[in-house]
Amino acid sequence: MDSRRDRRFFSKKKVCRFCTESIEMDYKNVDLLSRFITDRKKIVPRRNSGLCAYHQRQLSTTIKRSRFMALLPYTVLH
Amino acid sequence: MAITPNYYETLYITRPDIQEEDLAKIQQKLQDSISSNEGEIIKADKWAERNLAYEIQDHKKGTYYILVFKALPNASKEVEKHLQFYRTDILRFITLKTTEEAVNKNKASEEKKEKTEPTTPTPPPAAPPTTTAAPTPPPAAPEPPTAAPEPPPAAPEPPTAAPEPAATPPTEAPASTEEAKTENTDTQEEGGTN
Repeated sequence: MDSRRDRRFFSKKKVCRFCTESIEMDYKNVDLLSRFITDRKKIVPRRNSGLCAYHQRQLSTTIKRSRFMALLPYTVLH
Repeated sequence: MAITPNYYETLYITRPDIQEEDLAKIQQKLQDSISSNEGEIIKADKWAERNLAYEIQDHKKGTYYILVFKALPNASKEVEKHLQFYRTDILRFITLKTTEEAVNKNKASEEKKEKTEPTTPTPPPAAPPTTTAAPTPPPAAPEPPTAAPEPPPAAPEPPTAAPEPAATPPTEAPASTEEAKTENTDTQEEGGTN
């Protein structure tokens, strides 16, 4: 009980952006995809992106397509 | 079972310095391979000219062309075959299957853009006044220097230090510290004389 009382941080429940807003995932939409990439150009994990399983899977494939077409970098070291 | 036509979207990157004749030749081949498979081209556009995220065949820039078409599955294979053949001019290509809805949606959104674009040029006249108002903010920037002088008050503590090094702290600080220093030295001298 004590430990529960001491817990002062309430994290806002994240809702999948692609479910709530009507955004189409497109590998040509670089501005959108670059929001789901870390400083080191890695794909942001689901715990940080807040996406549902289905859209996280879609995101990873679209980012990879985007990388192939040289719209997004694979690493910082290019 | 009859084979039904599908919707495809091909995006390919050409070298930035490609000859127009070569490009026309490649596009003609793509067109032929689509039309020979009961297909029709819905969209064939230059999408963008942009810096590549990484170098491909020592090219830092590339021109993106988009091709949306409806054709039998064989057409996509043939299109890819042609693009592969001209791989010195075409750096990358990707073909994806899309749906009729997605194609129509894109069309609708593009038409909207075209409609809104002619209206957007009007705002610029309103923008210049903001540029004239812009020069005022800079004076607000020099706040940090006022925060900086905090450390100097600690400096006067060692009485052995000469007043000269105290002059190095920036801007406003010297005046106060110098006063403090001089007071300190005065008291020292007095103490010394006494």
